[in-house]
Amino acid sequence: MFRLSRMARRSAFVASTILALGMAATASHAADKVTLTFANWADAEGATRPGIQAVIAAFEKENPDIEIKSEAISFSEIARQLVLRVRSGNPPDVAEVSGNDTILLALTGKVEPIDNYLDAATRAEVKPSSLEGLSYKGKLVAFPWTQAPAGLWYDKAVMQKAGLDPENPPKTIDELMKDLAAVKKSQPDVIPLGLDTTNRAFSLISNWPWMKTFGADPFAENGATSDAMKKYLSWMRDLAKKGYIDPGRKIGEFRPLIAQDKVAFLWDQVLLQGVIQSTNKMTDADFYKHYGVATQPAGASGKPYSFEGGHQLVMFSDSKHQEAAWKFIKYLATSPYATENYTLSYEASLTPLEKAPTDALAKKLDTPVFNAFSRKIMPTVTAVPYGPRFAPGATAIMAGVQQAVTGDMPIDQIAASIQQNLGN
Amino acid sequence: MNGGKTSAPPQGVPAAGRGINAGRIVKYAAIALALFWSLAPVYWMLATSFKTELEATRIDPTLIPVDPTLANYIGLGGQSLPFFSFFFNSVVSCLATAVIAVVIATPAAYALSRARFRLRGPVGYSVLLFRMLPLVVMLAPLYLLLLNARLLDSLAGLVVGFTTFGLPFAVWMMKSFIDAVPIEIEEAARIDGYPRWQILLRVVTPLILPGLLTTGTFVFMEAWNNLIYPLTFMTTMDKQTLPAALVLTFTGQFKTDWGGMMAASTVTTLPLMIAFFAVQRSMVRGLTSGAVAGA
Amino acid sequence: MAATAAQRSTKAPARKNAERVPWIDWMVLPTVGVLAVVIGYPVIYTLVLSTTKYNMLDMVPPRYIGGGNYEHLLSDPIFWISLKNTAVYTFGSVIISSLLGLALALLTESLTGWRFRSVRALLLTPWAVPFVVVAFLFRYMYLQNGGVINAVLLDLGLIDKPVLWLNNSALALPAIMAANIWAMMPFFFLLLSAALAAIPNEVIESARIDKAGTWSMVFHIKLPFLKSALFISSLLMIISNFNDFAKIWAMTQGGPGYSTTTLVIYVYRLAFENFDFGYASAIGVVWLVLLLVFALVYLRALKVNP
Repeated sequence: MFRLSRMARRSAFVASTILALGMAATASHAADKVTLTFANWADAEGATRPGIQAVIAAFEKENPDIEIKSEAISFSEIARQLVLRVRSGNPPDVAEVSGNDTILLALTGKVEPIDNYLDAATRAEVKPSSLEGLSYKGKLVAFPWTQAPAGLWYDKAVMQKAGLDPENPPKTIDELMKDLAAVKKSQPDVIPLGLDTTNRAFSLISNWPWMKTFGADPFAENGATSDAMKKYLSWMRDLAKKGYIDPGRKIGEFRPLIAQDKVAFLWDQVLLQGVIQSTNKMTDADFYKHYGVATQPAGASGKPYSFEGGHQLVMFSDSKHQEAAWKFIKYLATSPYATENYTLSYEASLTPLEKAPTDALAKKLDTPVFNAFSRKIMPTVTAVPYGPRFAPGATAIMAGVQQAVTGDMPIDQIAASIQQNLGN
Repeated sequence: MNGGKTSAPPQGVPAAGRGINAGRIVKYAAIALALFWSLAPVYWMLATSFKTELEATRIDPTLIPVDPTLANYIGLGGQSLPFFSFFFNSVVSCLATAVIAVVIATPAAYALSRARFRLRGPVGYSVLLFRMLPLVVMLAPLYLLLLNARLLDSLAGLVVGFTTFGLPFAVWMMKSFIDAVPIEIEEAARIDGYPRWQILLRVVTPLILPGLLTTGTFVFMEAWNNLIYPLTFMTTMDKQTLPAALVLTFTGQFKTDWGGMMAASTVTTLPLMIAFFAVQRSMVRGLTSGAVAGA
Repeated sequence: MAATAAQRSTKAPARKNAERVPWIDWMVLPTVGVLAVVIGYPVIYTLVLSTTKYNMLDMVPPRYIGGGNYEHLLSDPIFWISLKNTAVYTFGSVIISSLLGLALALLTESLTGWRFRSVRALLLTPWAVPFVVVAFLFRYMYLQNGGVINAVLLDLGLIDKPVLWLNNSALALPAIMAANIWAMMPFFFLLLSAALAAIPNEVIESARIDKAGTWSMVFHIKLPFLKSALFISSLLMIISNFNDFAKIWAMTQGGPGYSTTTLVIYVYRLAFENFDFGYASAIGVVWLVLLLVFALVYLRALKVNP
């Protein structure tokens, strides 16, 4: 059922084209309006819903022949829904995806390669680096919509109270440990370092740069039992034992805390600024005086890293309106209106565009935070090894990290059990 | 557990008055403790729902809202997410499940209780065993089933899903209520030549009304609590049920908003609490008369 | 049981014309029909899938591998951990909450009138709180920094530093169980209160005339009457706890490590994060068999005819 031969597919295509032509001839006005289904979580969250709806309305106004039917599916459910729907031959036309889910969908072989539609002009508009990691079997399977790398945010007020130089965030893990100690000593009720150690795929993505800076790669052969991985796990345990981290909190639970000066350093994405300001109602100027963001402190490898946590757009091979779908994708990702009114404002993310399409936008992008992210942090982004092994691997690795952070099991034993569960 | 003097009758048993008092004090202390244990978390939910966002995330929590606000509740109504739809979806799907389950289950329960047929044992056992099936295991096949029936992402499909646990449960529970009705009551009607379905409808059903209500309430509550089916079967946010929407909305990508979450939780809990207290008396009556309670 | 009386009265004629007993009664047909579709089909499908290698991500149809998944299961440490956690979680919660519910039912028995009604209504409150809300609420209260439980315990001087309730592999499961017991105890309280009220007055009176002491009254007179209610309500709750997904998923997602991973969580992760439907189905089948064995033993022990 699911494995139509190429022949059959082609003849089905021919047949449906003939059918479509015939129908177009008899009822031409019916074909006037194309309806695209757009599966996304932007419409499922109160924070982004007004933004995405405005952008969709603007697109429909500009393209009266296309109607967008937005299907709001939550962030945590969308991958599952999309795989099941692709599997049952009922996919949407366009979908918002991110992280490993993008590659998971590509694995099904039902994602339409973007190369078939990507014109040279558009390709020149986006940063070449933004397309990296979005290929599967040599084909570009998704188009970058927003870019959201993570950096080390620091609360200058907390640093000052701890006797640290608020303009000089830690550059190495050793410096970081000293700073954390100073924070813990001066302000016992402040969480020195905010790291997401929940067990979900996002946590592994978020912690991947930290493993990387210790030189660890748990997915490599015997990677989980490597010395580098054990060093990383020991470091995590050290952080927990000294009370520098608050295990089990989701990243979203640290954000209101740093807004009240209760977290000193937070490993988080660009959007943190918006969340902080919505919580404590700070003005932009005050915000930049109070908070800053820097690259990750370098570990044993001597290099800082980051991950790209932005969102992508995919279209499906079963879609009957791929031209229109591409038009919509292009609009969301590259149009000045969507960039200004969605990507920068509601998502508070970077745009994949090489340079701002308008001067007004360029001015908007010229802030200390955006600059730090696009100039300093973006170049440290490292690819996360997405693929079929990633999701089950993430469960095994994060379970190990949790064991290191919350228990007393010897690190060697934890590493061995991660390795065993990865083998499964 | 020092409820020692629980049933010491007020009028008799020549026990020392002091002993009774000590027992009483222990008893009331135990009841007070139980009340505290039951209500403290509910209080915390309510208190948090009236706190500002900053207060709700304080590292040193305040026991009483310092600066009480209705913002979290207003936020629910004014939010771009349709909380009223979630509420409506939950009520409709759970109510429909309860009604359908009870209606289909009652004749089956009656037959299992009264009739003689060879497959009675197997049918009775399988109903009970079906009740035990791990829901998560049936998710994928049910998903495909609903997909083929074009019921995915519809309240009807959700009701079908809820029926998988609601129906066996209803059969099982209704049977225990019918078992408790003395068969002699039906004799007169049987002698008068009424068909069985009429006896069930006119003689037995009125007697087991509290049982029907109790069963319906249990099915309703279990459907209301179910998270895994709506999460899987409903693809459109606006068609989601309240508990699922709660999970989906407040664990979004941006931040965890405890105040808003507790306000939404309160709104999710209240209708159930009201409904529950409304039927409580008749439920107790149902349980008392049913074989669940009778030994 | 009242059921036995009903059966007895139908049994005698049954033997007389056994050959004319029909196979099936039309009144059960609607139920049987519905269950065959919504449960029978999924179960058979699961059985079939469990003998295949089938990952939804690969666009290849399920491939028959016989007992391969079952062999894998034997050597899968996470399966055994989940099985153990499921047993601890289910039986632990049910036993503790049934005992607490029983104690409360006995304690409040002598209260009468509005006092009883209001105490009962207040004690039942947690039962009206949906599972998802229970999970969120307790997760919030358990927070290491900023959780009210740690804050109060610190203030009272009972602990000197915050306890990691949900983030300690030894404490996480008991912590979730506490939330579960909180939510479930009212159910036992309600059922057992009802059963207590149903004890015929004459029984209590005659015991009283015999000058039975309080304890002997509880153990020799009341408990035997409550046995059936206790066992049946326990069975109901055991079943519902085997399936409990919401509380654990919303509180710890099975962590830290695998310390709160139950079978539901494990199967859910396998099926809907890894899309490994073949293996997930095999675990489902084993789980099913275990449940069936348990149910039969339990019913045998109870001597209840379903």
